[in-house]
Amino acid sequence: MMQDVKNRSVEKNSRRLFRNDMIFIVVLLLLVTAFGLWIYLVRGEGDRVVVTIDGKEIGTYSLAEDVTVEIRTGLQNEELNLLVIKDGKAYVETATCPDGICSEHKPISREGESIVCLPHKVVITVYAENEKDAPDIVV
Amino acid sequence: MRKSFFRWPGICVALILLSGAVGCGSKSEKYSTYSFDYFDTVSVITGYADSQEQFDDIAESIFSELSEYHKLFTIYDRFEKMENLSTVNELKDGTHRVVTVDPRIIDMLLYAKDMYKKTDETVNVAMGSVLSVWHDYRTEGTENPSEAKLPTVGELTEAAKHTDINHMIIDEEACTVTLTDPDMTLDVGAIAKGYAVEMVARFLEEKGVTGYLLNVGGNVRTIGGKPNGEKWLVGIENPKEESEESYLAYLELSGESLVTSGSYQRYYVVDGKRYHHIIDPETLMPSEDYVSVSVVCKNSADGDALSTALFCMGLEEGMALVESLTDTEALWMLDDGTCYESSGFGKYKSETKK
Repeated sequence: MMQDVKNRSVEKNSRRLFRNDMIFIVVLLLLVTAFGLWIYLVRGEGDRVVVTIDGKEIGTYSLAEDVTVEIRTGLQNEELNLLVIKDGKAYVETATCPDGICSEHKPISREGESIVCLPHKVVITVYAENEKDAPDIVV
Repeated sequence: MRKSFFRWPGICVALILLSGAVGCGSKSEKYSTYSFDYFDTVSVITGYADSQEQFDDIAESIFSELSEYHKLFTIYDRFEKMENLSTVNELKDGTHRVVTVDPRIIDMLLYAKDMYKKTDETVNVAMGSVLSVWHDYRTEGTENPSEAKLPTVGELTEAAKHTDINHMIIDEEACTVTLTDPDMTLDVGAIAKGYAVEMVARFLEEKGVTGYLLNVGGNVRTIGGKPNGEKWLVGIENPKEESEESYLAYLELSGESLVTSGSYQRYYVVDGKRYHHIIDPETLMPSEDYVSVSVVCKNSADGDALSTALFCMGLEEGMALVESLTDTEALWMLDDGTCYESSGFGKYKSETKK
């Protein structure tokens, strides 16, 4: 009776070890996948456009996909900068800011280039994918 | 007893992965942040730090310094219990008071007087009366584009009678400044930004900070190079949309300053024509010779003053001025897209990329 219990316990123990191994392998695989994904997302995403309002990042968009983004500011979100990404370039199509300088800016597509809307505190900046010798800043 | 076959190698792999991650973490990384609070423009700080916290600490100290200079030099805002250029400009019983100011204001105004001479009287901080006429018309025209108007010649020439910098009386010992012409006001827009950036950069250098780049509205100052020994790569924007070249020039900087004055940075439109913010003291109109003028030199205050001065000078005269100064180079872009550069400008150009 005692022997039987012990045997079963050993068997259970070794099964648990095996199960732990499997868990470990699965966790390891997950980690590797996550690492790969991270590399893909952070490094392999391609050229992207980052939008900030008063220094806070509000969105990231790929330059490879045509998209139109309403950047809303003001107390009642009444102010607008309409960001258009088309054919790998980003530009402000229209804006409700008084000076309109952002919508006059030429389309941007290269690392470090940016469009600034001072009245709305909006900055639109291009970050390229590991572009070699990319500028740290464009003025 | 059966041992787990995977456990120890597994732990080893995990440790290797972990150490790799930690290794990456301790290497200094590039961070950046923005503020819209100073000098009526956007200020960008880019820097290398070991952690976000370390970067945030330094960025905060930079913004706090910039904030001080902004408050001292602004002519549009007043602050409680504080004398600044706005209170120097203000009239009391029809005259300007003798105002006791922060020594940093005295130093900046003395510098401004010096630059007035060095730029052949082109950079004049006593032009406040003329610039405020333009400022008012620009503000109104921006808010009401259909009603946008130009100042009349009469208004401008009347204002220009009160721009003699010798009526700015500075007492260094007493730390006071007064304007002896009641119709005169100061506008330090052409130099204050660059001066403040230079002071903040020196403050960082004294603290031993390196690997930072400040950009206050196109006024760039590098504090050292990058931690890996490389220089900062700075592109000068090509404002021409139809041009194939993205950059007018691609520079490598390490400790130097780059300041660009451009007609495309601030302007308003009257009858379909753009009128920008850099006013020629001779014609009292926006200078129309160039699209942009960039200056590379050590001192960002010099860069700011010079880029404004060159913008209002003929090419020949400006080139002669730049060539007479040590460690100072410039790049001019004309309206038709042609560029001219001073003899030593090329040494700052990146060889890897154009």
